Amino acid sequence: MEPLKRSITSLAFALIVALGASAQEISFTAAVDRNTIAAGDQFRLTITLTNAQEPYSTPSMVGLVVMQGPHESSSVNIMNGRMSSSVSRIWILTATQPGKYTIGPARVKVAKGVIETDPITIEVTKGNAPPSDASAAQGQHKDPNLFITVTLSKSKAYVGEQILATYYLYNRYASVEDANFQPPKLTGFWTEEIDVGGTRWEERVVNGLAYRVGIIKQQLLIPQRSGKLRIEPMALTCLVNRSFFNRGTSVEASSNAAEFTATPLPAGAPANFNGAVGELQLQVLADRTKVKENEAIEVELRISGRSNLKLIDAPRIDFPSDLETYEPKSIDKINVSSAGMSGTRGFQYTVIPRNEGRFELDPITMSYFDLRSGSYKELRTEPLVIEVSPGDSGPSASISRPSRTDVVPLEHDIRYIHTGDLELRPTGHFLFGSWPWVAGMSAPGVAFLLFALVHRRRQRLLGDPEALRKLRAERTAKQRLREAESALQQGSSAQFHTALSKALHGYLADKFGLGVAEVTAADLRTRITDHEGSEELAESCARILATCDMARFAPVEDKPRKDMYDEAASLIQRLERDHRS
Amino acid sequence: MRITLAIAFATIVAGISSSAMSRVEADSLVASGLRAYAAGDHAAAQVALDSVAHVFNSAALQFDLGNCWFKLGDVSRAILHYERGLLLQPGDADLLANLALANDQVKDRLASDGGPVLGATWARFRGGDDPDQWSRRALFASLLFFALLCAAMLIKGRTPRRASWILASGAFIALLICIGFASMRHDELIRSEHAIIMEPKVEVRSEPRTGTKVLFVLHKGTKVAVDQDAEGWTEVRLPSGIVGWMPTGSLERI
Repeated sequence: MEPLKRSITSLAFALIVALGASAQEISFTAAVDRNTIAAGDQFRLTITLTNAQEPYSTPSMVGLVVMQGPHESSSVNIMNGRMSSSVSRIWILTATQPGKYTIGPARVKVAKGVIETDPITIEVTKGNAPPSDASAAQGQHKDPNLFITVTLSKSKAYVGEQILATYYLYNRYASVEDANFQPPKLTGFWTEEIDVGGTRWEERVVNGLAYRVGIIKQQLLIPQRSGKLRIEPMALTCLVNRSFFNRGTSVEASSNAAEFTATPLPAGAPANFNGAVGELQLQVLADRTKVKENEAIEVELRISGRSNLKLIDAPRIDFPSDLETYEPKSIDKINVSSAGMSGTRGFQYTVIPRNEGRFELDPITMSYFDLRSGSYKELRTEPLVIEVSPGDSGPSASISRPSRTDVVPLEHDIRYIHTGDLELRPTGHFLFGSWPWVAGMSAPGVAFLLFALVHRRRQRLLGDPEALRKLRAERTAKQRLREAESALQQGSSAQFHTALSKALHGYLADKFGLGVAEVTAADLRTRITDHEGSEELAESCARILATCDMARFAPVEDKPRKDMYDEAASLIQRLERDHRS
Repeated sequence: MRITLAIAFATIVAGISSSAMSRVEADSLVASGLRAYAAGDHAAAQVALDSVAHVFNSAALQFDLGNCWFKLGDVSRAILHYERGLLLQPGDADLLANLALANDQVKDRLASDGGPVLGATWARFRGGDDPDQWSRRALFASLLFFALLCAAMLIKGRTPRRASWILASGAFIALLICIGFASMRHDELIRSEHAIIMEPKVEVRSEPRTGTKVLFVLHKGTKVAVDQDAEGWTEVRLPSGIVGWMPTGSLERI
């Protein structure tokens, strides 16, 4: 079926061309797909001759390099019953040096005469990719057919700044396999692979030789220390020219070495600098700011921008002490591309307020090194206020709280001074050994001794009625004398004498331990003898007693009553003095 | 500034009549010193309190003075005052806490005496509330003892009489204990047996003379026991028992 169909189509085509050729207008054009390119880039030149088959001349292409071509293609169109045919030649061209290039006119001789295409000017700008850098030339020098180059986006950068390393494979073989490329081990760098997708090959000319060049690897390098850092050359074994008929040849591709200088960040980094280099923003977000006790809040600290984001540590957050916090969870949305790392790095803290109240989270600060201005800049968040209302006190609130934790002292300081009364006392003045103390200590002892003496004496008297009578003799006598005195004042003679007699009589009986009847004049004389003048004393006593006895019965008074009273009182006094105990 | 001036004036006045500083003057000086401390002017507070400390004394005053020196950065003076305060009121929790903090900054580490818990409790018991407490207790015990003796003589019943005899003998033992403690405390307060090193570094020699063998080196803030004095030299003893001579000017008695 297939060959038959094709032959029919060919026949139809030949017929159409033959029929319509003379009837159609002839055109001859030259076109490029773009007329401004970067050095090393490719563009396409198409020269099309419509409705004619005459051969035409190739235009002049001074300074341009033909990468491919010319390829020829032809087409036939039938539109509204009108048929047209065209023949095109296509060149893939490139330019290695920047500048202006002119593609000259192409000429064709047809029946009507000679037709020329318009000349085309191509502007070639400076290339952005490494078109024919020194490393490529160097690699070409080693092996003109297969080599690798390493290019760094910068040869000098700050510690922490991001540099792009691109590994190009230059190839002139028909095919190359096993680009399973392992980049060299790098010391002093933190590396981040960039996904380049499949290798895209493009044509490039180095020193007049056309290569197929592919990016086999891209890496972001972040220098971790200052000084000269070197990327060692490496080798890669590839299988080339493998095809259905050929098993291929093993060829080793080697690369150049790249050198790099990392400059240290300027001195005077703020305390809250955590190694971030680039351009950043900082914000603090909370999923809600009004909660009840024991309900969790997610507080996220989000760092966003273009920086070495993956190397940034969480800035220090001082949560109010009554909030329970857990270790932050990091939420990264970081895009690694050839332009560097960008995106956000978030630190999510789960915060559980255990008490009601208003908690204010102080602004969080973080410093970074701004590459554009070459200085440190500080980021500061807005303060975050969390309002905590009391939790439900129903049965649902009986959720077991986490076990109590110890109070951890954060700092140590001396205890504050004593204020108020310092209880000052004169220096060097003590109660111990001072005379008030000695007096105070001995006073109870002395008092006790006195008490003991009195007590003992009293005890002794209590045990001896005779002695007690003797002791009380004076007191009794004095009582009786008072009775006599009152009788004296009343002027009652008998009463007076009775009382006086009783007083003296009783006294003498008590004093000498006698019965009342035993007190006689004779007896008195024997008893009152041991003192000077005692005889006289005894006489006086006897006389007074006799007088009293007499006066009781006969109202004869040889002496005034007053004198008698005084005599009796003085007698008792004298006797008391002489016969103490 | 105003506080400082007031204190300076008060200090001059106090200096003139230091021997006859009245209780009222002392109280006003203390009050101005405490105000200065509260305002953060530790130097002025120290000057004011120190002028009072020449005439009056108390554990609280020594505590406050120690705090002033601590805040002024002179740890050895702070230790000196805390130790003086502890002498007046052994086992005081505040004094012990601050002394421990100050001692953390002392270079020399010496074997400490007594366990921390039992030590403080025993010291509080031994020290009483103020230096005169045991003397007052002795007075009370003496009164009680003789009162019980009188009671024993007066009481008629056999059993109550016996009980009061027993109580009286208990009171007598208590009296002896109180007198013992009072005398011990008095002795402790009268004699200053310890001293604090005031120089940053002192070489302790084998003899009271320069040029003799250096036995060991002590640093600022270390507490040592003092044995004897001899012409500008003092014999000090460490808890470990080693003894040596150092210039008297390098230490301050507690």
